[in-house]
Amino acid sequence: MLRLIENWLRSAINETVDKALTRLVRDQYPESIAEMLPSLQKVGGVRFAELLMRSAQGAPAPRPLGSPQRFSPWEQLLFNPVHLCRFPTPENVPVATAVTIGPRARRPLTVAIPILIAGMSFGGALSKRAKIALARAASAVGTATNTGEAGLLAEERAAARLLIGQYNRGGWLNAPEQYRQLDAIEIQLGQGAQGSTPQRTRARNIGPDYREVFGLAEGEDAVIHSRLPGVNSQQEFIRLVRRLRAETGVPVGLKIAATHHLERELAVALEAGVDFVTVDGAEGGTHGGAPTLQDDMGLPTLYAVARARDYLVRQKAAGGVSLIAAGGLITPGQMLKAMALGADAVYIGTAAVIALIGDQAVEALPFEPPTSMVVYTGKLTDQLDEDRAARSLQRFLNACVTEMEMVAVSLGRTALADINKSDLCALDPVLARATGVQLGLVAPDRQERLFPELAGRWQPGWLPPAEPPGGSLPERQDPLEPVH
Amino acid sequence: MQHEDLNHACAYIISELNRIETVAGTLAMIEREHYDTLNRFDHRELLDVAVEEQSAARQLSMVKQVCGELVQKMAEIQQAVGRQGETGHASSH
Repeated sequence: MLRLIENWLRSAINETVDKALTRLVRDQYPESIAEMLPSLQKVGGVRFAELLMRSAQGAPAPRPLGSPQRFSPWEQLLFNPVHLCRFPTPENVPVATAVTIGPRARRPLTVAIPILIAGMSFGGALSKRAKIALARAASAVGTATNTGEAGLLAEERAAARLLIGQYNRGGWLNAPEQYRQLDAIEIQLGQGAQGSTPQRTRARNIGPDYREVFGLAEGEDAVIHSRLPGVNSQQEFIRLVRRLRAETGVPVGLKIAATHHLERELAVALEAGVDFVTVDGAEGGTHGGAPTLQDDMGLPTLYAVARARDYLVRQKAAGGVSLIAAGGLITPGQMLKAMALGADAVYIGTAAVIALIGDQAVEALPFEPPTSMVVYTGKLTDQLDEDRAARSLQRFLNACVTEMEMVAVSLGRTALADINKSDLCALDPVLARATGVQLGLVAPDRQERLFPELAGRWQPGWLPPAEPPGGSLPERQDPLEPVH
Repeated sequence: MQHEDLNHACAYIISELNRIETVAGTLAMIEREHYDTLNRFDHRELLDVAVEEQSAARQLSMVKQVCGELVQKMAEIQQAVGRQGETGHASSH
């Protein structure tokens, strides 16, 4: 009997597919479903879906996790392993992974690994379980997590050994009794995925726990303003930084979306005396933002880091002011390249969330997206096992740092913080010139073949990381001098 | 607290920090060896313990680094205390 049904089904499917394929081949475009193929190719799958969402809702489609576009050409940078010119690090020598954020602060923040968990707010973005799991994983590996633009969630504070809090445009963490509980303060003026655009969470999406942490009245929306409350001039920002530094003693930093105005923004930050700067590139993620804000604004993370570092060096602030890179850093290779370009540490958001969900994604699939287990408004937030999630992220972070250590060994370095531009080569001439990384297509002492203006001014090893003010390069030295 | 007491306190703290630095370095090395040992087993729970050992090793290395930095700061404080003591001693004569 079953055999009979199976044969009948096969016959019916065969007949249907035959008819469909015949029509697909014979019908002209106006009548054929094949018309979808060039349309989809022209518009693109994601844009096609978002076009339909806009037409259905009449409002921006809140796309999660940031732009799908890959702005930063990380694959155009490669590390330079060593063999004889400098020897690889012996395997019994440990690679130092700890970094200090804000060394000039009265109470600097030292983390065991240079990967920090990015600001993702409770309520505005993630569920309480997800925030606690992030904090537990961060504590297990000796790094810091970040509150995001939220109030102080007591459970997160308790679970996080090191907590960076965002002094935010909603004003929810801006009272002394809140920010004095933090290990570092990050003044949040913008983010890569949304620039400095205001955001609003409707009261219908705000539960009692959210209201309590944010100090909202029932029926009140949670609003992130485009400006920080009380900061409408550069002088007011400078006064704020100085007050927070004096009052708390912890590192006080600035987080901005990376833009072409980067140096002008940093000039104000340095005048204010910040301890660290977080530049969030255009690839930065978010729980849900308008696609145009994500795809069409900002500066790619790779260029933002290189420019920020270059500016700090020129202002003689590198080393004293820590640089944290953020925005679309997914692989350990990308993270380490960001550090080689000058970042002291990196933030990960999207990668951390995916790793946090880990193998629990199967609980949500195929009927719900895996993110429904971690976002505040998700249907499956109650199903997230905090222990499993924290362990999953801990494994991911450990794997990432181990891979970074492997690269360091091959580069002959004994500390991740020692890896710099000289450990990279670029495969693209424009990228090489823009970042100060040597072009891998020609020998170090023959760079002038492609860049004639460098003739007689190039050091054989590499462009020194601490380029002197004015950009003048040292005179050419013996081309056989070993790299250091 | 008297100047001499301050000086002794600084010396004591520096000595203890040096000891903690050494202990942290040794323990970090032991944790790394444990990680290597545990990684030989193809057992999920042991591999998780191995990951924890590696994290512990890195955190102990961080403690070692912080101790080194604190020793430097304490040495600066001790020097400042010494200078203040000398100034006070000179002015009293």
